[in-house]
Amino acid sequence: MYRGREGQWAYFLHRITGVALALYLLLHVFDITLVMYGPDGPFNAFLLFYHQWPFRIGLVLVIAAVVYHALNGLRIILLDFTTWAIRYQRSMWYGVLGITTIIGIPVLIKILPEIFGGA
Amino acid sequence: MAVRPKNLREARDTYRTNTELAWWVFMRISGLFLVFLVFAHVFINNISINVATVDYDYVASRLARPSVKVFDSFLLGFALLHGANGLRYSIEDYLKRPGPRFWAKLTLYVVTAAIFIMGVMTLWAFSYQEMGDAVRNLGSGL
Repeated sequence: MYRGREGQWAYFLHRITGVALALYLLLHVFDITLVMYGPDGPFNAFLLFYHQWPFRIGLVLVIAAVVYHALNGLRIILLDFTTWAIRYQRSMWYGVLGITTIIGIPVLIKILPEIFGGA
Repeated sequence: MAVRPKNLREARDTYRTNTELAWWVFMRISGLFLVFLVFAHVFINNISINVATVDYDYVASRLARPSVKVFDSFLLGFALLHGANGLRYSIEDYLKRPGPRFWAKLTLYVVTAAIFIMGVMTLWAFSYQEMGDAVRNLGSGL
């Protein structure tokens, strides 16, 4: 139906980031609920486990997924509720990828040294 | 139903029930709110600070504040409904056999409801200030 062009990639990335973010959300709310057990509860041990570098790389990927899903979601809203946007859907998708990269670079510059600088 | 309606008119024609149309509209409205809510959440808790410094004291001091409780309540509600409905779309797209589809959806609804209730309890049922004070007093009394 989309024949492998930009629209299909936009859809595929939106779906896979969406599923990943929804599953992350369930885990994330669950781990925050551990503060209910107080300062001597399991919360700090749990967080210490997730402060290991593989999980922090994972968190960077979660942020990237958030930015892509949000921007492509705005593109979908424009496609759904305006008559003109469909003509620009392809260039808007490249715009989504471009803005995701532009937001991603300063975020990586801020976060990567925190992970690998021993901080 | 992998091909989804591409605009409001098509959505009206496609969905036989008003509930499905309502979910279609909800995904767009909640998505718009979530752009601002989630970007702010990520910036405050992940970019403006080093996320490795997050611990019980950081989270408790934030959850003790009414403004954070209200903000996080909107975030929790919109994100869980948006995410759970997105997972429901995915289940309906990829699980065609009625049995697995039923159990997958039942699991999704139960887990989502449980996480929502636990989230609301975390936000509203505890005074983190008092919990922290109680433990500190216990420590100083020994």
